[in-house]
Amino acid sequence: MGPGSRRMLRGLVPVAVLAAAWEAAPRAGLVDPAFLPPAGAVLGAWGDLAWSGELPRQVLVTARAWAQGFVLAAVLGIAGGLVMAFLPTARAMFSLVVELLRPMPSVAIIPIAILVLGLGDAMKVAVIAYAALWPILLNSLYGVDGVERRLHDVARTFHLGRWRTAWRILLPAASPLIATGLRVSSGIALILAVTAELVAGQSGLGSFILQAQLAIRVAEMYAGILTVAVLGFGLNLLLGAVEGRMLAWHRGATAKETA
Amino acid sequence: MSRARQGAGAGPKVRAAYGIGTLAVLLALWEAASRAGWVPRRFLPPISEVLVVFARLWADGAFPGHLGATLLRMAAGGLLAVVVGIGLGTAMGYRRSIAELFRPVAEFLRPMPPVAIIPALILLLGIGDGMKVVVIAFGCVWPILLNTADGVGGVHPILVDVARNFRFSHAATLRKIVLPAALPQIAAGLRVSLAIAFILSLVSEMIGSTNGLGYFILVAQRSFRIREMYAGVVLLAVVGYLLNACFLKLEARALAWHRATAGASTT
Repeated sequence: MGPGSRRMLRGLVPVAVLAAAWEAAPRAGLVDPAFLPPAGAVLGAWGDLAWSGELPRQVLVTARAWAQGFVLAAVLGIAGGLVMAFLPTARAMFSLVVELLRPMPSVAIIPIAILVLGLGDAMKVAVIAYAALWPILLNSLYGVDGVERRLHDVARTFHLGRWRTAWRILLPAASPLIATGLRVSSGIALILAVTAELVAGQSGLGSFILQAQLAIRVAEMYAGILTVAVLGFGLNLLLGAVEGRMLAWHRGATAKETA
Repeated sequence: MSRARQGAGAGPKVRAAYGIGTLAVLLALWEAASRAGWVPRRFLPPISEVLVVFARLWADGAFPGHLGATLLRMAAGGLLAVVVGIGLGTAMGYRRSIAELFRPVAEFLRPMPPVAIIPALILLLGIGDGMKVVVIAFGCVWPILLNTADGVGGVHPILVDVARNFRFSHAATLRKIVLPAALPQIAAGLRVSLAIAFILSLVSEMIGSTNGLGYFILVAQRSFRIREMYAGVVLLAVVGYLLNACFLKLEARALAWHRATAGASTT
């Protein structure tokens, strides 16, 4: 057994201990099983909900709102960040507004969105897009800002025009930071999707969890929470992998430079 | 391009004028759009009326009371997260075996939207402050924990060896050498957690509470006191801005020595 797999196994120890404690504590009466059913019962409920199609349906509702809001934020954020990076006038005009809006907790706009858009999907998408916008916008802006002086000089040497410089040189050079912004925002988008569903949703995972709690279907509630955790973990893994693949050229290019 | 750059890059004063001008135009547009009926008043009352309501709510003690409740929860949850996050994070950074034990659990729970556990906590702890403090602590602990672990783990081994050679105890090594060296990264984790704490206290108040700003803006919306709702959102923007600004100032002061030594070592 190599050191790598031994490390993996050691990492699984606390997971196993936690699972065993979760199974044993309600059975032994240390916690009220009405509030925390044994792990086995939750897994059973999870299996039933997955098999009946109920859980996949809720995941799909949440995932759709997440995707629409995230794409909207990505388009607006990258476009806005690049405009502010390339046009100093636009930057001087809007940086104060951005500075004032960004530290505002994004959930504060949920009541406004409910008021204007109602309780449906449009409200969710708007809230998600608003919250996910800021990291993408600022990382696009700072990404272009951080491009080395040298690359600007190269562009001028080759007589690249303004647009071709932006498209061929600045944007690719800024892409690692933009990718970081996208990854941060993807997590924020998921938080806001679940939050909007908890506060005002008619469907989706957040509202499923709350409904299960209100109806005292406790095992189903925990199954929903477990699903959210798996979704967050999977999303993070996926975006890390996409980022790694898409930016492989970048790492190669910068590595060669230092060698 | 160069002309535009000169136009707006002429100096910080000119840039500030552009920024304030844009803000003024946007606020004027808000006022006009509502008064002229371009946007229905029940969706967007004029900003002047919102500000009048804001002043009234602040003067009659409603806003200070709700704000105090929200900030108190944030502080309690944040403090819990700081104690657990820095404590366990330091242990993880200092001892590889502890890191291997806890990292998989942390990596699994960190990307989870913390709001999802609110219904379970309501069941286990009721809808009181205990539930809210635990949600805030649960959401805030990961950035602090992982940044502390990385910061402590990244301290140059020579520093630790030197301290041990001078017969520093483990506790003294941690306190005098390791934690100060890891402070910039810990501070970065704390800054992320500050925003998370604010968001989670508001969400927990929206779902189950009878006070706090999250409760206030949602109930104002549900009972169609729209100007009060907007006044609450304005207050949240102001408080968010001030919290962030205060933290940056504190961070700059706490890390001033760090920047000075780092600068000295490179020259």
